[in-house]
Amino acid sequence: MRLRHNKGLLTKISLMLVILLVSALTLSGCIEGLQPIGWSGMALADGTLFVGSKEGRLVAIDTADSSRQWSEPLKAPRSAGGFGCAAPAGGGGCAGGPAGVAIYGTPAVAEELVYIGGYNGKIYAFNSSSLEVRWVYPREDYLEPIIGGPVVALNKIYFGSSNGTVYALDTATGDREWEFQTGDKIWSTPAVSGDTLFVSSFDKKLYALDAADGSKWWEFETEGAIASTPLVYDNTVYIGSFDRYLYAVDTANGSLRWKFIGDNWFWARPVAYNGVVYAGCLDGKVYALNAKNGSKVVEFDLGSPVASSPLLVGQSVIVATEDGRIYSLDTSNNKIKKLATIDAAISAPLSASDGIVYIHTADLTVHRIDVETGAQLMTISLKKPG
Amino acid sequence: MNIWDTIIQQPMINILIVLSSYLFNSFGMAIIALTIIVNVLMLPLTLKQIQASKAMQELQPKIAELQKKYGKDRQRMAQEQMRLYKESGMSPMGCLLPMLIQMPIWIALFRSIMLSLAVAPEALLNMSRYLYSWPVVYSMLPLDSNFLWLNLAEGNIILAILVGGTMWLQQKMVTPAAADPRAQAQSRMMLWMMPLMFAFLALSFPSGLALFWVTSSVVRIVIQYYVTGWGGLTKMVSRREPVRDKRFKRRIALEGAPPESATSGADIVVEPSTEPEAGYTQEEGLDRETFEDKGPDRGVDYPTRLRDIRHRSKRREHRPKRR
Repeated sequence: MRLRHNKGLLTKISLMLVILLVSALTLSGCIEGLQPIGWSGMALADGTLFVGSKEGRLVAIDTADSSRQWSEPLKAPRSAGGFGCAAPAGGGGCAGGPAGVAIYGTPAVAEELVYIGGYNGKIYAFNSSSLEVRWVYPREDYLEPIIGGPVVALNKIYFGSSNGTVYALDTATGDREWEFQTGDKIWSTPAVSGDTLFVSSFDKKLYALDAADGSKWWEFETEGAIASTPLVYDNTVYIGSFDRYLYAVDTANGSLRWKFIGDNWFWARPVAYNGVVYAGCLDGKVYALNAKNGSKVVEFDLGSPVASSPLLVGQSVIVATEDGRIYSLDTSNNKIKKLATIDAAISAPLSASDGIVYIHTADLTVHRIDVETGAQLMTISLKKPG
Repeated sequence: MNIWDTIIQQPMINILIVLSSYLFNSFGMAIIALTIIVNVLMLPLTLKQIQASKAMQELQPKIAELQKKYGKDRQRMAQEQMRLYKESGMSPMGCLLPMLIQMPIWIALFRSIMLSLAVAPEALLNMSRYLYSWPVVYSMLPLDSNFLWLNLAEGNIILAILVGGTMWLQQKMVTPAAADPRAQAQSRMMLWMMPLMFAFLALSFPSGLALFWVTSSVVRIVIQYYVTGWGGLTKMVSRREPVRDKRFKRRIALEGAPPESATSGADIVVEPSTEPEAGYTQEEGLDRETFEDKGPDRGVDYPTRLRDIRHRSKRREHRPKRR
């Protein structure tokens, strides 16, 4: 080997290594799920699907002709500095990352308004036909990122923020009615049953609050943080925790009815039908559990984490795995069949209308699958032209 | 999960989480502890790299001499340089190889910190793939990103300055006073470019990563100090030229200018040998008698072993302190 100026050569090689290292760090930091992208579910009202796109816009899709309408993009509180990998409050920044504010929650629709929360820490009320902003909360400032979706009941809209606070706002004006502070971040969507609001927090607790004024009725503590959305069914709240248990808690007093352990987190909200709770787990299995006592009826190993909340369509439970496979579980005989496979990761909750399952994926696409035949219909792009 | 994840990434993430639980539920403490542990485990490689780098620095004056002598004759220059390396028992790649081996470990540690911080919901969801089924691991998540006054999930200017400062100090310690102006300019560029680049990155990435960089630099400074002293940080003190260097210069001078035909390189044969004088012939103008009476050093030429260089470098470092 000829080395004329070894010192110079070594310096150059070291320099190249540093540049290589920096590039590797930057790319691995930006691409591998370290940036907020969003996984908004879809809300259906009067033949229109509403979904938050990766571009930070509310998109309305007419289910009849697949025509689309876009809102103005949500505004980020500040732009990402440098390579933008420190998760700016609005998301965005990295190559391959989103262009706009990340939206995780499923929109809520009530009367002529559509409500949606953004990673920028604001909740918006859009006019459902024009997609113009009716009001925004807070008007001036920004809260911590909003990951869960809003829920509408009793003329109020309820949502939680990463600052650990549950907010109740007036649906028409966006004025704050009350707020309740938990001990840590809230990433889940609250659930309302009767006059009770159930909300989970990273402080490992499930709270039952008076939906009218936010006063606490009871709290139930688990061994792990809770990021999943509660399901209320037959006077019982079902919720998964980071301690790998799925808990069944009495809605009246917060006492434990039973708990069931999986091999990983129960991230997605379960569904219940005919006395059986169907819970997808990140261990790649779907568990069918007796709603009364938690005994296992049957389990299905799908081989890939189930992060997307399953969906009940007629007598079938539709389940999607993270690697893009969609299954239909017949509740009458507990048989499962694969409906389709799409070429995208699935994290967003599923939606259905008229026998069609809608799946929102991170590549700005809505996939449509026929529940009966498994046929894949033409996809709908959420990308705003121009 | 691929082999990389199973062998390196997954254990590192779980260790980080377990450390957090034992260190007062502090993720910041866990980052510091794991960085120190990894540094200690890689100490043999680090020492090898430092020593090889130091040995290379020791040879710089001799390389400069060779350049002065054979600068215009590239082939002869290369041959002489290779001979210099062979006889001093070192490889020019000796300081790069340990660095290359360590790099995947550092990247794994970096990724573990970034994943464990779970800044975005996607990252937390992604984390579930890496967890062992130990109860302590599951119940610890998500990790508390608050440490001292810092939110480890966000960039922090103070830590960015610390990253740049400690990296500059470490770089300064290892940067030699190169005789060659070109090498000196390149060293100077490295001295400033690396810290600035990493300080900028530290500002852009979560400060948990900056904490890792600062800790790592401090550990490297300590190791460097124990091996080579303050190095480039001490004032350049003019030292008496060692006898061995004088002899090297005399040999170069005695060889005289290369013959014109030497540009083709056809009349020069370099034999790999452990005998210092074996490669020289009368045609090259070397008077063996000149050196035979110079005592036990036998040194007509270069340091014979890498460890000789190390010992000599230590003596040099200590000499000014005693004054």
